[in-house]
Amino acid sequence: MNIDITAPYQTRVRQALADDNLRTALERAMSRLSEKRAQAVAAIDLQRMRDEARAIKEHAIKNLPELLEQLERNLIANGCQVHWAQTADEANEIVTDIARQRGVRRAVKSKSMATEEIHLNEALEDAGVKIVETDLGEYIIQLAGEPPSHITAPVIHKRAEDISALFQRELGMRPTNDPAEMCAAARKQLRSEFLEAEMGISGCNFAIAETGTICIVTNEGNGRMATSMPPVYVAVMGIEKVVPRVEDALLLWQAVARSATGQEVTVYFSVSSGPRRPGHPDGPKEMHVVLVDNGRSRILEREYADVLLCVRCGACLNACPVYREIGGHAYGKTAYSGPIGAVITPLLADDPKTAKELPFASSLCGVCREVCPVKIDLPRLLLDLRHDLTKLGTPPKYERAAIRAYSNTVEHPGRYHRLSKLARWFSRFLPTNKEGDLTRLPPPLSAWTQSRVLPRIAPRSFRALWSDRGGKDMGSSNDG
Amino acid sequence: MDNGSIGAREQILGRLRRSLEKQETLFRKSIGRDLPDPPMTVFPSPADKSLVESFATKLVELSGSCDVLRAGTDVAEQVMRQVREWTTQSPSEPTEILSWAPNELHVPRLEQTLAGVGISLFVPEDLHDESTRARAASLEVGITGIEAAFANTGSILLSPGAGRSRAAGLLPLSHLVLVPLSRLYPTFEAWLLKLRQEGRLEALLQEGGQIAFVTGPSKSADIELTLTLGVHGPKTIHAIVFDDTE
Repeated sequence: MNIDITAPYQTRVRQALADDNLRTALERAMSRLSEKRAQAVAAIDLQRMRDEARAIKEHAIKNLPELLEQLERNLIANGCQVHWAQTADEANEIVTDIARQRGVRRAVKSKSMATEEIHLNEALEDAGVKIVETDLGEYIIQLAGEPPSHITAPVIHKRAEDISALFQRELGMRPTNDPAEMCAAARKQLRSEFLEAEMGISGCNFAIAETGTICIVTNEGNGRMATSMPPVYVAVMGIEKVVPRVEDALLLWQAVARSATGQEVTVYFSVSSGPRRPGHPDGPKEMHVVLVDNGRSRILEREYADVLLCVRCGACLNACPVYREIGGHAYGKTAYSGPIGAVITPLLADDPKTAKELPFASSLCGVCREVCPVKIDLPRLLLDLRHDLTKLGTPPKYERAAIRAYSNTVEHPGRYHRLSKLARWFSRFLPTNKEGDLTRLPPPLSAWTQSRVLPRIAPRSFRALWSDRGGKDMGSSNDG
Repeated sequence: MDNGSIGAREQILGRLRRSLEKQETLFRKSIGRDLPDPPMTVFPSPADKSLVESFATKLVELSGSCDVLRAGTDVAEQVMRQVREWTTQSPSEPTEILSWAPNELHVPRLEQTLAGVGISLFVPEDLHDESTRARAASLEVGITGIEAAFANTGSILLSPGAGRSRAAGLLPLSHLVLVPLSRLYPTFEAWLLKLRQEGRLEALLQEGGQIAFVTGPSKSADIELTLTLGVHGPKTIHAIVFDDTE
């Protein structure tokens, strides 16, 4: 990883843009995922699926307190233990307490964004519990000591040869760049972790209120292993994951699969409603569910309910032209990147200003809104957030001066006319490329031309062309 | 629930209720409709093919394989052949496979037929017992029945219970799954509707501990988006579909 996720935003973006391998990998992977999604959604009535998925999630958020109470009631009736956590710290404390009370030394975890968000791994390690990520991608980045760079494809920033070198060093694998062999090496190592772990941890894609059920979506089967083999199972879920009925979870599962990877369904859909029953040969002896708020109720307070609809499919990342250039790590120390991350990260933060640049990491092209399976209007949210963040802090002096100068000019046709004439004359002395575009502007405008060109100023203005053709004078005389 | 989290519970629910009451328009642009009822009508049903054909085609597309037996074919014989193909031992050596209890496999006299050719079924009683677990983990083939199968996605539904371990369809590299025709549904939707009508859906979920929809062999594309099979679960899934309706 060539990006320092704790560095300032500008530095992170520069580091990402300087990494040619990263950009090649991103471009290849993101176009492939986007193509597969496009094929998968072309086979169905996409608008109807999005409308139904959206209606389900809207209903869930509107009725969140009642659904959470119903979920809790049914989970308890099914023999689960339910815990509530307001903050990341509270959630981590609950899980480490469960581990400590049962003498757990080894835990396995299925891929989960919620546990990534609250930094559960660090908390467990501090408590002396060895925690192993079991999703192949998450396992690789855990070995490398890096955070994930994508919601559903966490190791998208690494090449096969990087992963091979890592496995040779950490697992004693023989030199090979064959993904199948690397996968077999990981299977062998992780199999013994599954069988020896005293605790399995997962996130939650959907929780069904009417039956008290936690649903996990995976392709590798690690979700099913982690929730079946160890004697203790702990599911950590964001409170916005609850849905009313079984049918709703099955619909959203299919919507997520098509949107994330272009699959009709994922290989595994593990649907847990409690610990193993008497007489069953396997399954956990106890099951815990930790309901985590960690800023979600505050998002509702801040009037950003729309982002609570998100089902974490990653389609907006795959489609985003900005994400495709800079990748996930450039979004900083956050579990969520891409367009949805640019909205969620500042909203989840105690102080939104800590991630104030992220809503600007977007060209507002709108493709994220088009691919979202629950129709979140991300460009609208990004604009609203820019507005709110600007209100929170005063913009820098030079920015205010520049805006004032701009409005002084464009509000007065005469001034505009004189200034553009001056610019046209002056631009003749500036360096250009073959097409005649300006490649270097004098400071402070030089920041613009550092990474792009400015189209050359037309030799004759529209006004001049207009009057050449005998058009009526548009009159700089009206200038006030 | 522990004492600390009772406070957290009230705080969270209180905050949610206050925000929801305060805001008249919750979303930037609401879809303006309530829950779809019945939901899940968006996915195409395999109308152009028979259910069996569609199920088999899908499973093969997913890197699995499928035998569809003609009426009157000996199912046990077919099972034996597949197990022999997978196991490395020579046919004369005894072979043990991880299995559901014989009465859960939908095929009469299967155990006896297999025993005749040296294939024995290991049906674990408690996988939290260390030696049972080690023995189960060492086996190459697992055999299970199903709760239901779905033609338009090539999926099966496994529901654990007494004599039906999760491990049998999860730990071994090869998974042999027996699919009686009477349990094959066109879509998830059709199956859900039937269970709702019969009032069995909630009980199935709650009594199973964990039910699992499985669609093809375990796979990953985490390394440079290259498809690899058998990451944690089975590398191969072979279904034998047979007519049990006579």
